[in-house]
Amino acid sequence: MKLAYYPGCTLHGTAREYDASTKAVSKTAGIELTEIEDWNCCGALEAIFDKELSMGLSARNNMLAQKTGLDLVIPCSICSHNLSRADKAMKTDEVFRGKIEKALGNKYKNNGFKIKHLLDVMVNDVGIDSLSQKFKKSLKGIKAVPYYGCLLVRPSEVSKFDNPENPQSLDNLIKATGAECLPFTQKTKCCGGNLLMSKQDYAFILTKKLFDEAKAAGANCMVVACPMCHMLLDGQQSMVEKAHNTVINMPVLYFTQLIGLAMGLGDKELELDKNMVSPKQLLESIGKETKEEKKVEKPETKAGAEPEKEVAK
Amino acid sequence: MIKTSELDPNFKYEIANEPGGENIKRCFNCTGCTVGCPVTEIDKGYNPRKILRKALLGMRNEVLTDESLWLCASCYLCYERCPQDVKITEVMGAIRAIAQREAKAGKIKLANPKPLFDNLFIDSVKSNGKWYEAGVSGMFMLKTKGIGGVIGYAPMGMELFRKGKLSILPHKIKGTDQIKRIFEEVEK
Repeated sequence: MKLAYYPGCTLHGTAREYDASTKAVSKTAGIELTEIEDWNCCGALEAIFDKELSMGLSARNNMLAQKTGLDLVIPCSICSHNLSRADKAMKTDEVFRGKIEKALGNKYKNNGFKIKHLLDVMVNDVGIDSLSQKFKKSLKGIKAVPYYGCLLVRPSEVSKFDNPENPQSLDNLIKATGAECLPFTQKTKCCGGNLLMSKQDYAFILTKKLFDEAKAAGANCMVVACPMCHMLLDGQQSMVEKAHNTVINMPVLYFTQLIGLAMGLGDKELELDKNMVSPKQLLESIGKETKEEKKVEKPETKAGAEPEKEVAK
Repeated sequence: MIKTSELDPNFKYEIANEPGGENIKRCFNCTGCTVGCPVTEIDKGYNPRKILRKALLGMRNEVLTDESLWLCASCYLCYERCPQDVKITEVMGAIRAIAQREAKAGKIKLANPKPLFDNLFIDSVKSNGKWYEAGVSGMFMLKTKGIGGVIGYAPMGMELFRKGKLSILPHKIKGTDQIKRIFEEVEK
């Protein structure tokens, strides 16, 4: 499978481990990524309310991607939302399209060009069954909560690949790695990312609520698919601890790092040393199941190949 | 208390003329936006239904100067659930755009620091094509919290730099002239 790749600003900065693990995992999954040339910022959450500017900036990236003749994959939920929203407007709003085509001196192609989030590509295009065949190591010992956040599945008129109220794709992917996927009532609740500059204390309250719930569920790790969520949950976790005078100490992995581990890829390739909250203890817990648990496993089962049905414990 | 003599009946049309604000008049005040709002959950004073109702009634000045206008987390939950497809998140954006213009013209004052950050961010995209994280964050800290704020954030900045996550200088794309033309076209 060949796809055009838009990393977005954060994947070349604070979310570099998401970029590295995306590339490593895609390669193993048989996806050839071509980074689009001279891409620009999509406007992020800062221009999301300046609708025409956000869509104009995003449309330029779409036009660059169209030059490759390939569909476009995006790992960031915010970029993915912005570029998809722009694509829709460029295909349906003639006045807006006229403005942007005039600014860029180029025509927007109204063909089958598709923009997809990386999670959608992994779960629905590559498919969990084929991905599982690449898994070499069971991640038993990891007890994860799946965190989707906001823009990955909302609004459903832009993001159509999963249920906006109770999405399942990340759940299914976690289960396929052999890790335990715990029920998480906060899976689509906001992490507070866009409140960081307007009201930091509110942002931290929302973040802490997610961790409280994750801990109550018995999780030792959170799995995400967005660099903004990761920036708050991992990058600012120490600030949240300080503000609430508490200890959280919960590693937050990108889903690409998680499946990379199952594929047997190295810590270096997945840049696990770049996460702000060290996942060292978590990595040590993998494969340390008790003897009793081992007996339960069917002897013919390939490690990690079977998405186990989890019963609430 | 509402003073009918101070209401601006054109305010709803003004919002509907902004990109994103088109559907405001569809709102029938069912409160669906507010019951699921994650910000309302932690601050009962934040009430998106009230903002919409006031806007529809024409309480222009009260809506534009209300600090809570800047508390929407843009999580799109209300947008998803609204039975009238008001597109509330984007309506909030349309109202913010009007508030920013009024503030630029010196007619109102905005107390929340969010528009300052957004503008610094957007300016850095305008000149580089990409977000200049170190520059924007540093300037925002300096302007809102003074040099003490910058120093307070220094350890985190150093840690990010040490991990190769923060670049000291901005990255400029080749097509900055195209970016400038996009700004010109959408600002017309």
